[in-house]
Amino acid sequence: MRLRAARLEPWVLMSPALLLLAAVTALPMLYVLWLSLQQRALFRPARFAGLDHYLRLAADERFWNALGNTLYFAAVSVAVELALGLGFALLLERAGRVRALVYGAVLVPWAIPSVVSARIWEWMYHPEIGLLSYLAGRPVNWLGDPALALHAAIAMDVWKSTPFVALLLLAGLQGIPRELARAAAVDGAGAWTVFRRITLPLLAPVILVAAVFRTIDALRVFDAIYVLTGGGPANTTETLSIYAYRVLFQELDFGYGSALAVVVLAITGIAALAYARLLRARIE
Amino acid sequence: MKRLGAWVGLAAVCAWSLAPFAWQLLTSVKPAAELEALPPLLPSAITLAHYEAIFAGHPFARLLANSFAVSALATLLALGFGSLAAFALAKLRPPGRAVTLAAVVALSMLPPVATVSPLFLLAGAAGLRDTLAGLVLVYSGFALPLAVWLMAQFFRGVPDELYIAARLDGCSAAGAFAKVMLPLAAPGLTATGLLVFVFCWNEFLYALTLTSSVAARTVPVGIALFPGIHEVPWGEIAAGSVVATAPLVLLAIAFQRRVLAGLTAGAVKG
Amino acid sequence: MRMTLTRAGALARRRRALRALAALPLAALAGACRIREQQADALVFRHPKLFGDPQPLDALVGEFERAQGARVRRETLPASSDEQHLYYAINLSAQTREFDVLALDTIWVAEFAQAGWLRDLSHLVTHGDEHDLFEAPLASVSWRGRRYALPWFVDAGLLYYRADLLAAQGLAPPRTWVALQDAIHRVRAGQPALHGFLWQGKQYEGLVCNALEFIWSHGGDLGAGSEAAARGLAFMRRLVTAGVSPPFVTTLTEEPSRVLFGRGRALFLRNWPYAWSLLEGAGSAVRGRVGVCALPHSAGHASAATLGGWHLGVNAFSRRAALAERLAAFLAAAPAQKALALAYGYSPPRRSLYADAELTAARPFLGSLGALLDAARPRPVSPYYVAVSQVLQSEFSAVLCGRRAPEAALAAIARRHRALEAG
Repeated sequence: MRLRAARLEPWVLMSPALLLLAAVTALPMLYVLWLSLQQRALFRPARFAGLDHYLRLAADERFWNALGNTLYFAAVSVAVELALGLGFALLLERAGRVRALVYGAVLVPWAIPSVVSARIWEWMYHPEIGLLSYLAGRPVNWLGDPALALHAAIAMDVWKSTPFVALLLLAGLQGIPRELARAAAVDGAGAWTVFRRITLPLLAPVILVAAVFRTIDALRVFDAIYVLTGGGPANTTETLSIYAYRVLFQELDFGYGSALAVVVLAITGIAALAYARLLRARIE
Repeated sequence: MKRLGAWVGLAAVCAWSLAPFAWQLLTSVKPAAELEALPPLLPSAITLAHYEAIFAGHPFARLLANSFAVSALATLLALGFGSLAAFALAKLRPPGRAVTLAAVVALSMLPPVATVSPLFLLAGAAGLRDTLAGLVLVYSGFALPLAVWLMAQFFRGVPDELYIAARLDGCSAAGAFAKVMLPLAAPGLTATGLLVFVFCWNEFLYALTLTSSVAARTVPVGIALFPGIHEVPWGEIAAGSVVATAPLVLLAIAFQRRVLAGLTAGAVKG
Repeated sequence: MRMTLTRAGALARRRRALRALAALPLAALAGACRIREQQADALVFRHPKLFGDPQPLDALVGEFERAQGARVRRETLPASSDEQHLYYAINLSAQTREFDVLALDTIWVAEFAQAGWLRDLSHLVTHGDEHDLFEAPLASVSWRGRRYALPWFVDAGLLYYRADLLAAQGLAPPRTWVALQDAIHRVRAGQPALHGFLWQGKQYEGLVCNALEFIWSHGGDLGAGSEAAARGLAFMRRLVTAGVSPPFVTTLTEEPSRVLFGRGRALFLRNWPYAWSLLEGAGSAVRGRVGVCALPHSAGHASAATLGGWHLGVNAFSRRAALAERLAAFLAAAPAQKALALAYGYSPPRRSLYADAELTAARPFLGSLGALLDAARPRPVSPYYVAVSQVLQSEFSAVLCGRRAPEAALAAIARRHRALEAG
């Protein structure tokens, strides 16, 4: 039965939320776009700068370095989280009686604030008295070696985010009807074949959703890495968000910093568009 | 054999999830002298000195109070506005709802660094810098997409007939919402509330830039800025981490089912 | 749909409980958002947290209050240097009146002066002061021939060494870098697990201080075409490749390096004077075995130490400028600085105080530092320093990690500086 509503009523009900959203996200977004076209730095006259900042950005080696770090971080961490998360999900599916215990344990990394997680991992990465150096048997310069630092950050992110991915995939697995797997088994298919031919394809949409979710989060990462390494050594862990933050709040160049922020926005926007497309298909 | 394999696997998953936090817990009760080298893995004696220190030497209690106040108020605000909007979208089904919902969710994908400088400047202009009220407004705004999305899913699960019956009984849409829909979506409210609370408690970048004095500081910023110029008190940092996380961990474990429902809502075909 | 009475009752109870729960955070919020009483009369003095008993500073301020018949309120700054700078910049650019006297890091004065945020305090620097104050702090508070802040206390990089280990080898404290490496080689022959030379190599402002010391002690300086500077940076990199410093020096800041040295794990440490009282404190593993001297230099050149410390400025927008100036002058005068040195161990920037019998008797370590502090060099005094420092930090870190050649790094620094000056 179709529900007919007064034309305006739904919009009236939505207005508080939409207004607050506009004030806190949409408006600032427009403001930062505008700021990126202005010159707003200490000792510089405030004036319209057009595309100057974007031109400077294109020639800025540090920008490309940050972009590269961000993309690498996102690609590697998402790939590992998906693979590990799938493995965890398959295990969690068999939890049976200890389900509550295991789910609770798996939620702990998710519940920990990313900043606290960074502190925990900083302590574990201590070159001499950290747990990981101890397990490795010798002091390792985890956070100070340019070849290792970004990977150390990736490991920290993987630890924190895999549970979320695992839980998403678990929900997906639980949505797959048992009959299909049983029928295939009756037809003589081994566990691996069942997984490859039935489970994975049916799980594909959920994997995709998890991938997009995690990619968007990884592209805009700031908190944990900022606390873990601050962007060093030699800018090897400086992501776009960290670079933008530095230019905004340390160099106090609000124009150029805003241009950098807009680039971060654009990158996550592309990923978000992909997600919105997926969503549209499901809302109808 | 397969059973054993599954058990070992599950144990490994639990170990993975809990080990770092457990290590931090251990560190927080180790006497300071034993934190200086690593062969002693386990503490010889449990000490609460670090916990005492963080409350005595640092304004940790204040930080906790601030975090709690901000997170709770932002959650209430987000839930209130969010469920109204979700109800409108899910039950009243205005034209353009798909686009609106997609836009709302897309806004949640915003990188925080993109809006931090305008909000910083706007907050200054509005006199809300370094206040908890400013944080509450910003956090509820950011939590809205999550709240709207989740509540919309839950409202969809409530049969239309109940709503129609209430309207037929003479309720206005808002009345039907308050008296009928909201109570029925209570599990959804709990799940959404928990997720929003955790999000607000953990937020760092805006808390860092919008506050500067201890009076308005929240826990994540306190943990990040832990030592001042001197001292790297690993024991105290560990104690602070445990205290900062314990409420959330307890909430997550206690309300597992709700949290899980919230996390997976909408990601999977129901 | 019918709702049973019990269900309605349950709902009502839940609503009441929610309301009560909501009241809790509201109360906390109200308490936290307490409106500060506008003490229109009190002068506000912002400074970083002082390490020690606040009582001596309170007493000093009280003395001023009584003498002037005014009230002064002290407020501490946020903890990190970045936050402090941001706080000042944002508020002063908005022409705040929230504070009158401000404590400034030595690298901010030129920037704030150029921006018009500080009052000209040249008239407070007497002729006697010009001769009494160390040159470097005076240079760092000057901009375009005028003084915009008063030097308050100073810091300089020092070399800490394990006197017992050196004495066992019959070695004197090293004057040159070669001697330092030689000492490490000899001592490590017997103790291979000992670290050689610890300093601050993490990518932050502290790295700039350390790197400049390496550059200056090789006779170089920042600026175009300085071959000596490139040699200094190459030396810095070699410290790690040759094993003189452990690879994780790239993660060290002041405290982690001090703590390691304090546990007896290293032979040499470069750090600020504050570390002394911690290393010699009760319970320190190296108590009584640590010596301090000037940083080494390369043959044919002079030892160099980077200047640190804090100065006192007056907000250009202050409503009570005259009184604020008097407070700044009071705190920067010799008697106040002596009191602070006695109470907190902060090194004053005045030559006369290092000859003061009472001070040198009560704080012999501080007294011995006079010459070292006098020879300290400021980081580039420029309104663009904070922006240039971003490049300095990343370029020096790149050289230290072996990712950039010293010449390329110096060229990049010079380019960026030119770009900033040109606007």
